[in-house]
Amino acid sequence: MNKKILFLFFFSIGFAYGQSDYLTYEKLSKKLKDFESKSKFCTVKSIGKSSGGKDLWLVTLSESAKPKPALLITAGIDGKHQAGTQIAVQLIDQLLKSDNLSKLLANKTLYFVPSVNPDATDAFFDKLKMEKSGNATKTDDDRDGQIGEDPFEDMNNDGLITKIRIEDVTGEFIESPDDARLLVKADPTKNQVGKYLLLSEGFDNDKDGKFNEDFSEGVNIDKNFTFDHPVFEKGSGVYVASEPETRALLDFLYLNQNIYAVLTFGMHNNLTETPKYDSKMATSRIIKSWLEKDVKTAELVSTLYTQKAKLKDAPKLPMTKGNFAQTAYYHAGRFSFSTPGWWTPKEEVQKDSAQVKVEKPKKEMGEPNPELAYLKWATKENLTNIFVNWTPVKHPDFPNQKVEVGGFAPYVLNNPPASYLEESTSKHKQFVEELLAAMPKIETNVPVVEKVQSDLYRVTIKVVNKGLLPTYTEIGDKIRFVSRMKTEIVLANNQSMVSGRKYYLRNSMQPGESEEYSWLISGSGKVTIQTGCATTGVKELIVELK
Amino acid sequence: MKKYILFSLLSFSFWSVSAQKNDIAPQDLNGMRAIGSPANPKVPMSWDRYHDYAQITQFCKDLVKSYPNLVKMESMGKSYENRDIWVLTISDFKSGKIEHKPGFYIDGGIHANELQGVEVSMYTAWYLAESFQTVKFINTLLKDKVFYIAVTISPDSREHFIYKSNNANTSRSGMRSFDNDGDGLVNEDKLDDLDGDGNIVMMRRKSKTGRWKVDPKYPSRMYQVRGDEKGEYEMLGYEGIDNDNDGLVNEDNTGTYDPNRDWAWNWQPNYVQNGALFYPGTLPETRAVKDFIVSHPNIAGAQSYHNYGGMFLRGPGAAEDDPLFTRQDIEVYDNIGKLGEKMIPGYNYFVLHKDLYTVYGGEIDFLCLTRGIFTFSNELMTSYKLFNQKSSWSRWDNDEFNEFDKYLLFGDGYVEWKTFNHPQFGEIEVGGAKKNYIRNHPGFMLQEDAHRNMAFTLYHAYQTPKLEIVEIKTEKLSGDLVAVTATIMNTRVIPTHSSHDEKNKIERPNYITLKGSNVVAGMTVQNEDLNLFTEQKYRPDQIEVSNISGMGSVKVRWIVKGNPSTATVEVSSAKGGIITEKVSK
Repeated sequence: MNKKILFLFFFSIGFAYGQSDYLTYEKLSKKLKDFESKSKFCTVKSIGKSSGGKDLWLVTLSESAKPKPALLITAGIDGKHQAGTQIAVQLIDQLLKSDNLSKLLANKTLYFVPSVNPDATDAFFDKLKMEKSGNATKTDDDRDGQIGEDPFEDMNNDGLITKIRIEDVTGEFIESPDDARLLVKADPTKNQVGKYLLLSEGFDNDKDGKFNEDFSEGVNIDKNFTFDHPVFEKGSGVYVASEPETRALLDFLYLNQNIYAVLTFGMHNNLTETPKYDSKMATSRIIKSWLEKDVKTAELVSTLYTQKAKLKDAPKLPMTKGNFAQTAYYHAGRFSFSTPGWWTPKEEVQKDSAQVKVEKPKKEMGEPNPELAYLKWATKENLTNIFVNWTPVKHPDFPNQKVEVGGFAPYVLNNPPASYLEESTSKHKQFVEELLAAMPKIETNVPVVEKVQSDLYRVTIKVVNKGLLPTYTEIGDKIRFVSRMKTEIVLANNQSMVSGRKYYLRNSMQPGESEEYSWLISGSGKVTIQTGCATTGVKELIVELK
Repeated sequence: MKKYILFSLLSFSFWSVSAQKNDIAPQDLNGMRAIGSPANPKVPMSWDRYHDYAQITQFCKDLVKSYPNLVKMESMGKSYENRDIWVLTISDFKSGKIEHKPGFYIDGGIHANELQGVEVSMYTAWYLAESFQTVKFINTLLKDKVFYIAVTISPDSREHFIYKSNNANTSRSGMRSFDNDGDGLVNEDKLDDLDGDGNIVMMRRKSKTGRWKVDPKYPSRMYQVRGDEKGEYEMLGYEGIDNDNDGLVNEDNTGTYDPNRDWAWNWQPNYVQNGALFYPGTLPETRAVKDFIVSHPNIAGAQSYHNYGGMFLRGPGAAEDDPLFTRQDIEVYDNIGKLGEKMIPGYNYFVLHKDLYTVYGGEIDFLCLTRGIFTFSNELMTSYKLFNQKSSWSRWDNDEFNEFDKYLLFGDGYVEWKTFNHPQFGEIEVGGAKKNYIRNHPGFMLQEDAHRNMAFTLYHAYQTPKLEIVEIKTEKLSGDLVAVTATIMNTRVIPTHSSHDEKNKIERPNYITLKGSNVVAGMTVQNEDLNLFTEQKYRPDQIEVSNISGMGSVKVRWIVKGNPSTATVEVSSAKGGIITEKVSK
């Protein structure tokens, strides 16, 4: 009895702790305003409203009003990933406190949209916690014409929606041999026989044989974007780009041509698992593979991530349909990088252990079960309120069967206590600095002026990209809304062009690539040459013809 | 003015009294009335001209004022330049709730240079209201159905087309400005109306190396010389100047995007589908229409008017979506489309991507694939109409328009060639087809084609589902149990759900409910004679039927405790309407 009380005591402390160290929407808004008031580099404005009427905050770090080549950092798109928002805010904080901020901002701008889906944040702080991806839009999750007719129920009154398992002859699950708390699918080839049905916690309110199939979860913004939109799937919206959050973020991205790359903290990873080049998919009418030169860039950026910022062992987390990260690349033509930001640290293998020598068969060498790895880590870190042990309950829909409630507490797998995020935020700060430093740099030689004959001059200039990365994506050359490399000459009134164009547009310039331009101009005096694009900044030269 | 109001008031009261006795208004009985047209319309209109935004707005208001029990007007939203996008709701408001009637959506002028789609939409609204009392078919149609007519969904661009200098193809877009050539500047090199006549025509210049000649039969026409024939002119494109001195003429005009590539089905970016913007719904106009469609789930059929070419187009816009059209659904389209070919000589029933071109993110795909609405898009006007015969030439290479201009329009269709001193090209000549010729109907042909296209669309609307409870049977079982069996038929060609709709659960299923009775079990009847049933265990009183096919029927059965004679059967279908009937009459 005493033990039980003690357990409950710890339990409630853990719960309270978990709730207070992440930012609610109100606290987030206040924190961002604080940043603004304390730093001359920081401005905060709203780029739109969520479907629930919350402002979508844009934080700009810039040392001038004029936009410079920029990175856009987004987070909190899928409501299940609140850690991303925390990391993004910590990152702003660390950057503002950093000594080299003004150096970073000398020729770059940083944009943050730390919470793209603020409606979903509310659910994270609800008294009754359940994992929710969506915004405040009313949705008919099972498409039956009724909204929210079968929600979840907290059957054991612990404030958490977890799972129920039912001993049933049709059950496909068994207790995991590695950790009896976890359920895994029975493998008949190993003579395993299924024992449990595994369902979410709640009743079949509308008595349709399905459990909790419609609690009107809202639209998961990270399923509502334009690339490969999963039409008619739960949470994807009534149609593509139906949500105000989706449109606000895309409007901002498209209209700010100076955004060179996007970094998203969320449910995907293409930084340790780089995009692959598929020539067939890259050349089909609807492009579905990163283009060849962009893959090279992605590989280079990946080395900045893994080697310079020492961010390794991230889970695979492949891209999903209709997400922002892919849309930013395939449709808006920007480099787009994604990371969960935080993941379960890899278990350190003791080298002197004899076990190491026993090699496991290849089959079992694949991805380790992330739930198991997380449980081990959480146990080692003494985290509470992680797993609800299976406890029997009475369930009216299974009157004669053994039913137990239990499983992971909502959100825990992706959202550790905020203190655990600090370290990975610092590493990501380093990555951001490396990425900014690698961005394209447009340089020119000293223009060569030749006097061809009396008043006729030939001006020749070489433009080169001295950065580590291209001026913009290869796919960007196909996209009308990407600012193109432009080299322009402005003549004085007394001058006229004998040969050459007023301006030249060209495709993306790879690192080290150069191009020469020349003009024949009649009339002496000064001419101005400008070269560059929105993602590189424009370099201006004044040349004297004499 | 006052006199007119008085007159209409008088005629209104006269008519309403007599209408009670007889559905035919007396003034329509005299011999001056041409059959098929309202003889003495309350809203007098001429259908041999085009209308600007103020006139369209006035027309809508007049119609509402004259027919408050038939016509309602509301704004679906604002355009980019803040004009209201009007939609007329037309139905007999006195018979049943309008949201419970199958709906039919019509819009016009998404491509604003395609003027006549707006006039056909207006004509339809006008004809329905003005004929309600005189034509029995229309009377029944407005009792059964509701029409939502968005007369112009690109009002900004329409004003631009009418009042600014354009050619037949410009102002297809809306008025939002974008950088078209990637140089960082916006609208820096527009079309220029060199002679200031409101028409952007062609530029030609005498040239020893030119490959064009004047057609000796029709001096307005230039033709390209073939083989070793010597030319006299070179063509320099549409009227314009290189305004920004970049070596290109007219390369960055106002709003070069396509509002009909801004829709949420299989949307693709600009490099796949020219004319697309940031995402489907970048434009306030298309967003307004989408919101309207989604919030009116009773819309079962739709028509979006375009020009030109004389076509009844159905989806899909892209070949990869062909499998989403099943045989049953195609039969429905065939039924309507093939009849259309008879109703409008010279028009063809076509599949968009097969017979015209591929369209990603087009409006008709949004309507039929995102929302499950049976949709046609008519391409109004065809050169067939000029001489009522098929052209022996291709669409761009014939001289029928010139011949028609000469003998029927007396030269009104073209701007005669005249010299102009061009800052870059020197001495040139400008001339060619006026912006309202070729694509838009000449006045005297407009009303006829408006009527024929309306008739096609009304047939389409007539075929939206009409559900009828054809039979309710009761049968005593053992104890105090009674079986109630209801047969429901869809007496029209269009099903309550397209196969694509049914498969993806776009719209909720139909509910057939026994109300006011103690239902102990419910089932659908597969075969009554052979006793084949499928029981629905949950909510047995409300049987879910995923589709009632065109001209098809379903049978459902309830087992009830006690006497069901006071119970009611309700059939509720999003696109098929709501009907009820007592178990015992």
